Amino acid sequence: MTRAGHHRLCGSDVHRRAFLGAAAAGAAALVGDVTGIRILSQPALASELRRNDRRCILLWLAGGASQLETWDPKPGRPTGGPFLDIGTSVPGVRISELMPKMAANLHRHTAIIRSLNTGNGDHGGGSELMMRGRGREGGLAYPDLGAMLARELGQADSQVPDYVSFYSETEGRNFSRLSAGFLGSRYNPIELTDKMALPDVERLESIGELDHRERADLRALWSKRFARGRDVSAVSSHNVAYERVRGLMASDKLFDISTESQATRDKYGPTQFGEQALIARRLVEAGVPFVRVARAWWDSHGQNFETHQELTPELDHVMNALLDDLAERGMLENTLVVTLAEFGRTPNINASLGRDHFARAWSSTLSGCGVKAGSVYGRTDDDGQHVADGEIGAGELFATIFQALGIDHEKEYHVGARPIPLVNPGIVPVEEVLA
Amino acid sequence: MAIPTNIKHVRTINRPGITLCIAREGESERVFTGSSDAKVYALDMAQEKPEAVAYEGHASYVTGVAVAGKHIVSGGYDRKLIWRETDGGKLVRTVDAHEKWIRAVVASPDGSLIASVADDMVCKLWNAESGDLIRELRGHEQLTPHHFPSMLFTCAFSRDGKYLATADKPGHVVVWDVASGEQAAAFDSPEHYTWDPRQRRHSIGGVRSLAFSPDGERLAVGGIAKIGNVDHLDGKALVHSFDWRKAERTFALEHPRHKGLVNELRYTADGEGLLAAGGSGGGFFFWLDAKENKPLGDEDAKMHVHGVACGEGFAKVYAAGHNGVAVWEMTA
Amino acid sequence: MAYRRPYRMAVVLALLPLVLAGVSASRAVGVEPPAADAAVERVIDHYLDAGLVERQTPPATQTADETLVRRLALDLIGRIPAAVEVRDYLADESPEKRAALVDRWLGSPEYVEHQATMFNAMIADGEGDLKTYLQAALAENRSWDQVFREIVLADRSGDAGRDAQDFLRRRVRDIDVLANDVSVAFFGVNITCAKCHDHPLVDDWKQDHFYGMKSFFSRTFETGGFVGEREYGQIKFTNTTGTEREAKLMFLTGVVIDEPQRDEPSKDERKREDERLKELAKKKEPPPPPEFSRRAQLVETALAEGQRAMFARAIVNRLWYQYFGQGLVMPLDQMHSANPSPHPELLDALADDLISHGYDLRRLVRGIVMSQAYSRDSRWEGDQRPDAEAFAVAQPKPLTPTQMARSMSLATADTESLASVDDADERAKRIASLAKTQNADLFEQPGVDFQISANEALLLSNSERIEKNYLSGGLVKQLAKIEDARELVTRAVWSVLSRAPSEEEIELLEGYVSTREDRREQACGQLVWALLASSEFRFNH
Repeated sequence: MTRAGHHRLCGSDVHRRAFLGAAAAGAAALVGDVTGIRILSQPALASELRRNDRRCILLWLAGGASQLETWDPKPGRPTGGPFLDIGTSVPGVRISELMPKMAANLHRHTAIIRSLNTGNGDHGGGSELMMRGRGREGGLAYPDLGAMLARELGQADSQVPDYVSFYSETEGRNFSRLSAGFLGSRYNPIELTDKMALPDVERLESIGELDHRERADLRALWSKRFARGRDVSAVSSHNVAYERVRGLMASDKLFDISTESQATRDKYGPTQFGEQALIARRLVEAGVPFVRVARAWWDSHGQNFETHQELTPELDHVMNALLDDLAERGMLENTLVVTLAEFGRTPNINASLGRDHFARAWSSTLSGCGVKAGSVYGRTDDDGQHVADGEIGAGELFATIFQALGIDHEKEYHVGARPIPLVNPGIVPVEEVLA
Repeated sequence: MAIPTNIKHVRTINRPGITLCIAREGESERVFTGSSDAKVYALDMAQEKPEAVAYEGHASYVTGVAVAGKHIVSGGYDRKLIWRETDGGKLVRTVDAHEKWIRAVVASPDGSLIASVADDMVCKLWNAESGDLIRELRGHEQLTPHHFPSMLFTCAFSRDGKYLATADKPGHVVVWDVASGEQAAAFDSPEHYTWDPRQRRHSIGGVRSLAFSPDGERLAVGGIAKIGNVDHLDGKALVHSFDWRKAERTFALEHPRHKGLVNELRYTADGEGLLAAGGSGGGFFFWLDAKENKPLGDEDAKMHVHGVACGEGFAKVYAAGHNGVAVWEMTA
Repeated sequence: MAYRRPYRMAVVLALLPLVLAGVSASRAVGVEPPAADAAVERVIDHYLDAGLVERQTPPATQTADETLVRRLALDLIGRIPAAVEVRDYLADESPEKRAALVDRWLGSPEYVEHQATMFNAMIADGEGDLKTYLQAALAENRSWDQVFREIVLADRSGDAGRDAQDFLRRRVRDIDVLANDVSVAFFGVNITCAKCHDHPLVDDWKQDHFYGMKSFFSRTFETGGFVGEREYGQIKFTNTTGTEREAKLMFLTGVVIDEPQRDEPSKDERKREDERLKELAKKKEPPPPPEFSRRAQLVETALAEGQRAMFARAIVNRLWYQYFGQGLVMPLDQMHSANPSPHPELLDALADDLISHGYDLRRLVRGIVMSQAYSRDSRWEGDQRPDAEAFAVAQPKPLTPTQMARSMSLATADTESLASVDDADERAKRIASLAKTQNADLFEQPGVDFQISANEALLLSNSERIEKNYLSGGLVKQLAKIEDARELVTRAVWSVLSRAPSEEEIELLEGYVSTREDRREQACGQLVWALLASSEFRFNH
């Protein structure tokens, strides 16, 4: 798409509506409603039905993992740090020696993007940008990736959550400010921090099972009487929310990994990150469209190498186990696993043997659903200081994620009369990593 | 003998990359350094502008260098030990010494042995002349208490060469009987290790330096005190001293002014004074009264000091650091 | 900004007989528009009724008195009414009882508190806190132009840290954001679309307008916790053809302000200035005001005759949205020529009235809630519910977090002691104190197209906090003591829903309680829960 596309964002569509005058304003309001509950009554398109079993797991490497100690090593360069690189199962592609498991399986599911230049090296701004695919602009509360995928891949009346985010460490927890923004709180995440279970899904002891159900029936009956003649989306959403309660309460068991075989649990390992990845797999298996598992905190200003000696092998193990498990269950065809952070880390090594924030040339990976396994896109220069080839920003990465999941990145939401496409106009996906 | 607490910077030879370790040939002004560019350099510090003669052979950071008799032995993150002749630098042998990063290489006081420690958590003793492996010393856990790979950072011989101490990231210290290979003592100094279980969920720190007192009775243990924010080396420089035979801690000192890792410890010949060097973003030298457990003179080192080399006295102290090699003068 | 369109009187007259079913004769569309000094509510009903005639949509009937009292209470004082307040109103036979109730509540401390909460959410929008400042301003019914002036000029006369400065101080790091937030909050326009190119929606907005607005704030900075303004500084921007231009000091209407020529200071002068500022910051003193203040120019220009309609229309639309759940222009930040209001005459008339009455917001609010349009029923009995913008039927509005928390608290409180209080003021005070704001953080601030989340339903269904705070004492304990089931359920409905139950409802609830005789107190808790969690309670309808 060219600049002409840009004008569509703010322009022609609305112009036309404006020409139609006041009568069209009602139509605009109705279009605005598609983000709401009205979707329930609309017949789904065939492509949307196919899309309904697509899922996404985001491994969020909070604090900023180093691309040099993961996907884009520069051994032997002044900026390279002490780690060596190792060959992978894809001829000619080498990654950090800290990731032997992913190296052995790289050809199976994974594409590496080495050319992100996202321009925001601040934890808060970078997190917002990389969770939304665009910065704060236009005075609009943009939805984050999870909310958009929950909206695109979820079912309005789903019995499981749409969007679950794990973030157990406390550092940086609020930087990405997860939110459904203008999509509405229907698509807000369930954020899990201390407990690895949904909040408020357990019936209180003070009420019996039967009473819990029957008082809900009474509530529903009373509310249905109220809703008669008040056919507006906010009122319907209230009742849909309560209709989901019993399903969500039942989905509590999804968070209980004790029902998994010991072999499976061993595969993921005893770490918190591993256990959360296993829960993520259980959730997508049950139909949750989007799960974020955040692993904080990679912000290695001091002792970068020793920090990555702890965190990178853990990532290597957990990511490999997750992909392997999803593949074994035949789920990886429909599940996209993304590794991403707010930014990468400086090639320059500081006096504390640390690396600092760096958004100019860093990496992300996509695995599974819709991805051309073993592909590598983009290149940084010899010292990793700049993108030498295939530079992309957050928008292109998001377009690629949407495309991999079978979602048209040019699709538009409507905020009032303003059409807002999933990614900013003019942005195209990276076809090279798509199957 | 008074403690040489007057610390004076003489000069700094700027070097590219990070100079990680340094050894001095006897009492001469010839030093050997190991660098992040995978090279060993020989520098004659007597010259006004010392030429750095490069010896290639390693494939990653060179983190340990020792002079033993006619040999320089270097070790690095490439897991190799390389022997060269001090004179001319001729390559003698390359040994695949460890399974993981080599963190330190030291020579016994009489120059007959080389000890190397690595993240495979093994200390290996080598015949300095023949390069034969004499003994493997195994007494450190592979994993930290939090299930991450551990690191074996440092080792030091007693002055009489009978004992060798090794110490790891979670703060486990072992003193070995060199002749028998048996553990003479083992104890923990966990204050050097910070595990952040909640905020950031990774660790930082570890014991980075060891030194026996000249009488061999005490063992000084250097590192960094507990850190609030494990993203940074933001803890006070920490020195502990042990009566190692009893595994009893005799003192603990968090330096009131300096922050960062204590990477090197050196006793004065009479055992009265203890020099600590290290750093974080910047660096430091400080002296301790080794008996009274109190800080004496100190100085900003202008660079994170990764290693020091000095002779019997402290008239010339050579420091390897983040931006090169520096010469310091320490007098009473 | 052309908002006018031909008013087709002939059509209106022709349709008149067809549609009068729902429009009473006293409010019938007059041939003459209301006089300039007519009551605000008359102006509102005049234009809206005319619109309904034009649309051939008869409006919904006027809502029942108990619903009206609930609506007024939630809108004006931020909570449901206590049962006794509704009963008193029903018993009152005065024809002026609505006006009397409205005036009483408009003059109450609860009104100030609630409006401050609503305005804080509207203006500060989660970025900064103007609540304390707004409380003081609303308590004395400070005029809206004055509030605008104080916020944009970063007035410091309130308590330290709680003054009007906070709006600017929180945004001054990013002047783009600041300029846009001021435009959105006070002029109802989002100008970011004109940042990178001429505004695609609005022919008469160019990049010059964006950078013009930005220029008013470009010299603003923060030092030592104070908002200051420099004497110098120009904004340059590169337009879409790549030409660099210097921004003019241009208001949104296109008016350009001349300003004295100022040379850029030298390096040394800048250094000296920085030192002076540091010195002042150390002493906790504000920076000196500039001789020529661009922000003061913005205030003067925006409020000047010929320019001020934009400012007035924006607040009219905001308040209208707050009370009707639908603006006269939607979205609220798109009040420009390409997005005309379906009720342009009404918007203009209300803006004119506001201006000619000294930007007196309470007058406008009073007019809104006294209108017949405001008191229509929210239930639509016909087939197709008319578009919200017709204002033929009231919109159910989700309660805000504070409305929700205070209403839940009051609904489930022990209100027995109220009966013995005769003094009206004292009783109002007691009721207000029973409506506690705690737990407001559990609920989400509703925006346009608000959807209630499953999290909220789970919270209400299973949270200990809900159980402990609302279902364990007060009302539930009182109900459990009532032996007669009919009396019990009637009391429950009055307490939670502020109305009497119908016969059918009584039977339904009696049935629920009677099958739980062995656990009557629990049954009462469940009954109260079902009513609290109902849509009828969740919405201001």
